[in-house]
Amino acid sequence: MSDNKFYRLGCDIGGTFTDFVLLNDQTGEMRINKCLTTPGDPSDAVEQGIRELEEKTPDIVGKLDEVIHGTTLVINSIIERKGAKTGLITTKGFRDVLELGREIRYAPYDIFAEFPKPLIPRRLRLEVDERVRSDGTVIKALDPDEAKDAVRELLNTGVESISVCLLNSFENPDHELMIKEILREKAPDIPVSISYDVLPQIREYERTSTTVTNAYVKPLTGRYLKKLSSRLESMGFKGKLFIMLSSGGITSVETAAEFPVRIIESGPTAAVISGQYYGRLFDIPEMFCFDMGGTTAKSCLIQGGVAGVVPTFEVGRVQRFMKGSGLTIQVPVVDLMEIGAGGGSIAKVSKMGTLQVGPESSGADPGPICYGRGGTGPGVTDADLLLGYLDENYFLGGEMKLDKEAARRGVEEQIARPLGVSFIQAIWGIHDLINETMAAAAKTHIAEKGGNPKVVTVAAFGGAGPVHAYGLAKKLGAPRLIVPPNAGVGSALGFFTAPRAFDLVRSHKVSLNNADFIEIEKIFRDMEAEGARTLEKSGKTENIKFERSVDVRFVGQGSETNVPIAESDFTKVKKEDVRGRFDKIYEKLYGRTYLDSPVEFINFKVRASLPERLLKLPKMEKKEGSIEDAVKGQRLAYSGIAKDFIPYTVYDRYRLFPDARFDGPAIIEERESTVIVGEDASISVDDFGFLWIEL
Amino acid sequence: MGQKFDPVTLEILWRRLISVVDEADTTVARTAFSSLLRDAHDYTCMFTDRHGRELAQGSFATPGQSGAMALGIKNLVKKLPAGSFGPGDVFITNDPWALAGHLNDVCVMSPIYYKDSLVGFTACVFHHSDIGGRVSSDNHDVYEDGLFIPFVKLYDGDVLNEAVIEMIRWNVRTPDEVIGDIRSQIAANHVCSQKICQMLDEYKMDGLDDLADEIIGRTEKSMRDAIEKLADGIYHAEGIVEQMEGKDDIVIKVAVKVKGNSITVDLDGSSPQVDWGGNVVFNFTYAYVFMAMKSMFEPDIPNNDGCTVPISMKAPEGSVVNCKFPAAVAARMQIGHFMTEIIYRALAEALPDRILAGSGGTPATMNVFYGKGSDAKPWHSVIIRGGGMGASAINDGYYDYIFPANGANTPVEIFESDTPLIVEKRGLLTDSGGPGKMKGGLGRRVVFRIPDDEYAPIPPVNLGIQSGRYRYPPEGLFGGKDGAKAQFLINGESGNPYGLTQLKPGDVITMDAAGGGGYGDPLERDPELIENDVSDGYVSLESAEKDHGVVINPETMKVDMNASDKLRASLKKA
Repeated sequence: MSDNKFYRLGCDIGGTFTDFVLLNDQTGEMRINKCLTTPGDPSDAVEQGIRELEEKTPDIVGKLDEVIHGTTLVINSIIERKGAKTGLITTKGFRDVLELGREIRYAPYDIFAEFPKPLIPRRLRLEVDERVRSDGTVIKALDPDEAKDAVRELLNTGVESISVCLLNSFENPDHELMIKEILREKAPDIPVSISYDVLPQIREYERTSTTVTNAYVKPLTGRYLKKLSSRLESMGFKGKLFIMLSSGGITSVETAAEFPVRIIESGPTAAVISGQYYGRLFDIPEMFCFDMGGTTAKSCLIQGGVAGVVPTFEVGRVQRFMKGSGLTIQVPVVDLMEIGAGGGSIAKVSKMGTLQVGPESSGADPGPICYGRGGTGPGVTDADLLLGYLDENYFLGGEMKLDKEAARRGVEEQIARPLGVSFIQAIWGIHDLINETMAAAAKTHIAEKGGNPKVVTVAAFGGAGPVHAYGLAKKLGAPRLIVPPNAGVGSALGFFTAPRAFDLVRSHKVSLNNADFIEIEKIFRDMEAEGARTLEKSGKTENIKFERSVDVRFVGQGSETNVPIAESDFTKVKKEDVRGRFDKIYEKLYGRTYLDSPVEFINFKVRASLPERLLKLPKMEKKEGSIEDAVKGQRLAYSGIAKDFIPYTVYDRYRLFPDARFDGPAIIEERESTVIVGEDASISVDDFGFLWIEL
Repeated sequence: MGQKFDPVTLEILWRRLISVVDEADTTVARTAFSSLLRDAHDYTCMFTDRHGRELAQGSFATPGQSGAMALGIKNLVKKLPAGSFGPGDVFITNDPWALAGHLNDVCVMSPIYYKDSLVGFTACVFHHSDIGGRVSSDNHDVYEDGLFIPFVKLYDGDVLNEAVIEMIRWNVRTPDEVIGDIRSQIAANHVCSQKICQMLDEYKMDGLDDLADEIIGRTEKSMRDAIEKLADGIYHAEGIVEQMEGKDDIVIKVAVKVKGNSITVDLDGSSPQVDWGGNVVFNFTYAYVFMAMKSMFEPDIPNNDGCTVPISMKAPEGSVVNCKFPAAVAARMQIGHFMTEIIYRALAEALPDRILAGSGGTPATMNVFYGKGSDAKPWHSVIIRGGGMGASAINDGYYDYIFPANGANTPVEIFESDTPLIVEKRGLLTDSGGPGKMKGGLGRRVVFRIPDDEYAPIPPVNLGIQSGRYRYPPEGLFGGKDGAKAQFLINGESGNPYGLTQLKPGDVITMDAAGGGGYGDPLERDPELIENDVSDGYVSLESAEKDHGVVINPETMKVDMNASDKLRASLKKA
């Protein structure tokens, strides 16, 4: 940050809205803006949003040090199949790897369950006669003339992007690099993605699918980022543009354009990063971030201020939210759990004569019945309204009037009567069941990370998050719930606290006993050099931090356990130390370890990062006042404890002040969201305006 | 009087039960050793009420195991004398007649106690890649198949029965892997029990009995309602399943008796048991009859005892579909997997929109490779794969899945790092899908080479195979044509897929999986679909003309509509 550039802007392009957060680094003051996304050219909305911010804060563009950007553009182009015409060059005998996938039927008893079509049709998948063994030695050398023929053939079909994935290339990339060179010569304008660059990791389907996806979205991401950069430049922006990675770091435009497959989950990641920040700020050992919107709920466990990163995820699931029905992408991504539970989730009577809520959703448009926009299926928001949790006259700060009567009819006719339950049982059932669905998924997620739901602090974000967080926290057995200010858009803070970081991985299978630590040190050094080159594109390179880790497993075991390596020189590490650390982590995750079973290395990983920029959260003004001043009134709302409607006190969140304390039952309203707190909990407000709810 | 559950609470508890098993299931994926479990997901977790009635099973269950467990665990529980077991006990067995029909499927089962009283049982069956024995489908009795573990206690109230572990250790080729996977089974059951007790605690329930009645009762009703829509009657079909060269074909006779809201499947008239490993135990036969019924009537509802109650089965004792001890059973899927398509065939006219034509992944193909590497170290790998699926009224057959069983392939890069073998090809076979209005799924060729250079393993390399469709292809339906047959070649010559094959360095093994059968008249297939099929090399120009009556200009790769109309008219006359 230089003296005259003390603003930072976070900008998140979502499906419906483009959100902006402007941060003044000198004062810590933040401003929020929202405008409609412009799908034709998303940079239109970016310019419009900045112009609007300028009305209140003149000349900010010249004072912007950084613009940090997240986008759903990449994921949408995959889901909508709007990527480039892409070709693939692969090893002879393996052009169908992409289509055969892993062969598992994700719905064993459903013979009509569909599978996603590959992004590249078979006619554009060509083979070259080369072969590398699993140890990296060459069985059959690549003939450059044959490779040139394959390139020519693909170019003749008019492909706009080319991917290359050869068998066992993670152990020896020579042939892939040769093809890359030929492509650079023959087709300098065609974007190229080779698997060794995209992610050199074992398992050919997953690596091919990832490389192909990268190639598929590369042309459009490149064009878009270029356009955005020049647009900002023409507005007078002289700072640096960063893009949010799925792994939770931020990176340069150049790197994002080279590896667009790494920014697929760019949007939702910001929420997790702000969660990480809160976790550290308040020193919370285990925090469960929970972000509930219109269609889905996303959540993530943050341990010691750090969110988990997983090596693989799925995109574009064809069968609702069923695991296995999407395309597999193997890049580091923040371990975000997404389930089909949102304010728009629709309730209906199941075949079994029980209540079912979601995963079908009416989304934001038409939305639940109470929106009065043509939605006919009673949804979670309808139930929340009828339970008294939402105020029909103060939704989005009163901008949208909710139709309570229509919602009541919908629940009565479609749920209560057919199920033969009372109206109150029906509305409470919808609310409680969606909480149960989320809690069940959350418990599995927390268990997988070796966490304990009984000690987590739940942090609620999103429009519907604070309405459901109390119920969710109770089901988890969590002792505490926090709600940050501006919870409806609070996730945007993550843009400012995300580190400039890049993750690298290399597969190399060798048993711990036979491992040559000098050779491994060389692998680490190579990766660190590559990480440094990538970060150079982000600007400064001093103080680069390298975090090393290894994926270790019992010899022959299926999945790996990640073991952090603190030492910066692997030759100084003792074999028994690696073993000891592995056993400790394994035991924590799975209950017991097996000391006499030998272990082996699978992957070596490096995270290269620059120091995080600090952020000072603005403190609220201290006020001498009485809590009564913040009370808007009283409203009857349902209590799951009393099993009846009881009077809740309604507070205006904007009139709360530091150290204010009060007890449930309470409803705390702000513009974008409403916090519900039951009668067994107490609330306090801290200096930053966070609500701390003790359960 | 039992506890009553309103429809809302019931759904909440029901979901919880399923998420409990899925959590146990996840534990397996992360702790298992063998590739067959971790990569191919060949295992099933479930739990029952205290009477052994299945309450919930993992969402990724393998139908053969889950269907067989629904019957098998109930029988085991019935036979357990009260007082003979207690908290902390863990049982183990791989008795093929008790559970999933071959020795490799090992079951670990534990009673679940809540506040000192028995509330249920948790069980999981893993397909272990090694159980000792002679790894071949032409064994003559179950003694040759490998180690038989009777129903015994592995833990007696938290005390490990070391003798059982030692007995297993000395009877298998890869003891560390097998014991490691048994530990993973214990862990999965442990997670399941723990989470059920937490749920009972949370909802202040004493046990699962009332909840089980409600869940099973509602499921049964839903299944029965679906069955009731089908007209009463007896629906017949006959399936011919090939055996090894020189032996008579196996005949499976099916009479599906639909009466009101119940179904009885009678297999009377089916062939007697055989003197090789294709014999199927009652439970496993039932599992694939059930697979057909569930997929036709109620594919979406969660599986539990209530789904199976309306469907009963009769099979003559001593027949190939209800074999008697000590028949060899290692290759039981070679016959058992056919039950699903024979049932489909019986009900094809009655439920034409709910079934598939014959599938090339019926039966699944399993290869067991083992031997010694160039460094004399033993290696062992089991891989499974499917073939082209049959077409249906609304879809072309999907490419290469195991059906009606389920499982994943093993990545070539993993296989090559676990064994000295080289995989030279894994690709789709042009024209192998049965022509039809809806085309059968394509079969797939896999080529293995045993290196003869410095990487050459010490001979022999052993290969045990379970598969089929070498003589009879997957059948088409309603005018759809058959898919292509399977092939097994050693250095270009036909091999015997039934015995244990011994191979040497330099050998090249080719295995073609069969293609799925087509559905409906191929002359009615949309010419535009054929154009795409030809452009992508799924169908050849020749087959487009000969089988589908579609003429494609080889220059432009576009359909010649005039020529096609004429050709189709003349083909229809002929």
